[in-house]
Amino acid sequence: MISFFTLIRPRIYSLRRLTQQRSGFWPRLFKLGIIGAIGGLFWGGLFMISLRALRYFNSIETLGELLLYKLFSMILVTLFSMLIFSSILTALSKLYLSKDLHLVHAMPVPSDQLFFARWIESTMDSAWMVIVYSLPFFISYGIVFNSGYSYYAQLMLILGFLSIIASGISALVVMLAVIIIPANRIRSLFVLLGLCVFIVLFLAFRMLRPERLVDPDVFVTVLTYFQAMQTPTSPFIPSTWAFDALKASLNGNPAGALIHLGLLFTFAGFLVFANLVTARFLYYRGFSKSQSANPRLFKFKNSGILLRYTSSTPIRAFVFKEIKTFIRDQTQWSQIFLIGALIIIYIYNFKVLPVEKSPIGTLYMQNLLSFLNVGLAAFVLTAIAGRFAYPAISNENEAFWIVRSSPITLRQYMWVKFVIYFTPLLVLTEILIVTTNILLKVTPFMMVLSVVTIFFMVPAVVALSIGLGAAYPNFKSENPAQSLTSYGGLVFMTLSAGLITAVLLLEAGPVYNIFMADIRHHALGGAQKAWNIGSFSLAFLINMTAILVPMRFGEKRLAVSYPS
Amino acid sequence: MIELFQLTKKYTHTVAVADLNLIIPEGELFGFIGPNGAGKTTTIKMMGGLLSPTNGRIRICGIDMIDQPVKAKQCIGFIPDRPYLYEKLTGMEFMQFTADLYRIDHNRFREQANRGLELFSLSEWGDELIESYSHGMKQRLIMAAALLHDPRVIIVDEPMVGLDPAAIVLVKNLFRRLAAAGTTIFMSTHTLAVAEDICDRIGVIHKGKVIAIGTPDELKQMACIDNAGLEQVFLRLIEK
Repeated sequence: MISFFTLIRPRIYSLRRLTQQRSGFWPRLFKLGIIGAIGGLFWGGLFMISLRALRYFNSIETLGELLLYKLFSMILVTLFSMLIFSSILTALSKLYLSKDLHLVHAMPVPSDQLFFARWIESTMDSAWMVIVYSLPFFISYGIVFNSGYSYYAQLMLILGFLSIIASGISALVVMLAVIIIPANRIRSLFVLLGLCVFIVLFLAFRMLRPERLVDPDVFVTVLTYFQAMQTPTSPFIPSTWAFDALKASLNGNPAGALIHLGLLFTFAGFLVFANLVTARFLYYRGFSKSQSANPRLFKFKNSGILLRYTSSTPIRAFVFKEIKTFIRDQTQWSQIFLIGALIIIYIYNFKVLPVEKSPIGTLYMQNLLSFLNVGLAAFVLTAIAGRFAYPAISNENEAFWIVRSSPITLRQYMWVKFVIYFTPLLVLTEILIVTTNILLKVTPFMMVLSVVTIFFMVPAVVALSIGLGAAYPNFKSENPAQSLTSYGGLVFMTLSAGLITAVLLLEAGPVYNIFMADIRHHALGGAQKAWNIGSFSLAFLINMTAILVPMRFGEKRLAVSYPS
Repeated sequence: MIELFQLTKKYTHTVAVADLNLIIPEGELFGFIGPNGAGKTTTIKMMGGLLSPTNGRIRICGIDMIDQPVKAKQCIGFIPDRPYLYEKLTGMEFMQFTADLYRIDHNRFREQANRGLELFSLSEWGDELIESYSHGMKQRLIMAAALLHDPRVIIVDEPMVGLDPAAIVLVKNLFRRLAAAGTTIFMSTHTLAVAEDICDRIGVIHKGKVIAIGTPDELKQMACIDNAGLEQVFLRLIEK
């Protein structure tokens, strides 16, 4: 056990250093404060929404309680699935892919102790966020059912047991799988499979059109269906034991929960034991196997023609490099699938919009939605730019020396990155806007306005992402895509949201003037014309500023931040 | 060919390089030695344009690195101590990437790249992803790429780390041949035997300051040691 404590000590030291380091303490505290505040706001929002929804369900006579329990069971199944999915990915990284494993495995420590230290880290890393953000639901249940302290105490225990069970199952699966398939491939495979399942479920759920629940005609039918669906979940799934325990506790019968708590506790204990025994035989074998390089899945040599007909420039160098590394990184594929699903759902939402049922005039409604759609598409753009363009500089990782020692300036380099991401994002966003406008049957004016607005907004959002990605790079990260959740990423998201809001607010007045004048066949007055020109010019200027300022800011910060 | 004037780099609490003055003429192979943390890599990074100096000037082939970094870098072949590369590219694709950065035309690239990969025994690995290369292979690929545009100056940090004996001999001979053909080479190393073998002059840096410069024989005289290897000379010099 001495080795175990020694092995987890570096992690404790690094956490302690966060609070002890004097240099840069206040900026760090400020950054942590901002991240904490945003996280807290999100948590509070979840809590308010879930409490309101549960109170609403509770107020429905006869069916309310049934619905609450059904939902509770579904939340627990989802939570448990998320814990398993998260644990598999974390266990793969912690047990087989982390860079420090080479050093750790060279130490005179039995492999089961090494496994145990890593597994505990993996359990905590994979579970804390899932649990923190599931608490708003569980606390809301406690409030709605007027539960006592025993419910919350049991809840903490149950969430702990579920995390250990999920992590235990995941570690067993990973240890067995690594013997058959290389660790790198498994990670890509699980991410891909997990996302496919998620996308299929999400698409299926969306196609069911849950918005019909607010339609009184359909609502009764849906509730009747829920009532008919009283079949219990499988008694072999740990989330069922957790449900039974918490249900007993919610009903004011904490003693009745003990048997289910016992089941969770013993199964968690059994899994810890099973993992330790398995690790003794399999962990080192799997780790050793994961050291060998993966053979390439596909070998294409299709860039020869392109190279022959384009001239040799730094732009071509980076365009080819970005495209090739992107295609060959299998973790990126899953993101593409996700974006594909997002776009399908986005367009589908507009297809099924009951515009004709709106009490407001159809033509007015269609064009109002089209205007708001510009903002929505820009938010989708922000999310995609945040995932792909923001980490573009950090993606260079420690190979950034190549850029710095090459005969190109940082400004050229950043603009090349800008062009690489601007082009596909412009095409994508314009497709979204034009397709949804066609579905909405908007006026030619609205079509032109939204296409032009997006044309200027896309470079602004992309420049924000590249500029701030350069200002706050992380060349040491094993997964630069996660940098969006860092301080710089949050600054980017906030500024981008501010930009979109500012442009929409500036355009709202003029758009209303022009649209109403068109409907009423009136000519615009002099003051209105001046207002329109002023607003559109200001919106244009804001976009231009958002292109130039972040790029300059990023360039300056990047010049001094390397090497970090 | 390489001129450093009062080159200084200060970090928050330390002075990594202080008032470094150095002129290395065309065709000279200059060795730069010193204990860990002496300022070798910082000097090399400033010369390669990876770090901006706090003070002083750097001129490569008569071009000022601070005023005209792009033009100056065009003359340099830079080889770092740690071979971090784009792991998802193949060796040949990395060569193409480098050729594009230096604007080498397609026909010249093919010829140069094939010759470079062959010289460093990487021809068979040209179409494999760099992530499958060993440390030494990555180091050899960086060298092949650095020579692709026929640089007039080579700046190299610890060239022998990770190389097998055959590759070490290859690199030693190559550097001597390039220097004889007029290329200026600035090489930082801990392998003192290599420095003694191939360098025309050697500079010793300690605590950010150059404490001695000269041919191996001149350094022995400065250290007041006869009939000793460079290791003894080095230890004596940094003791002083």
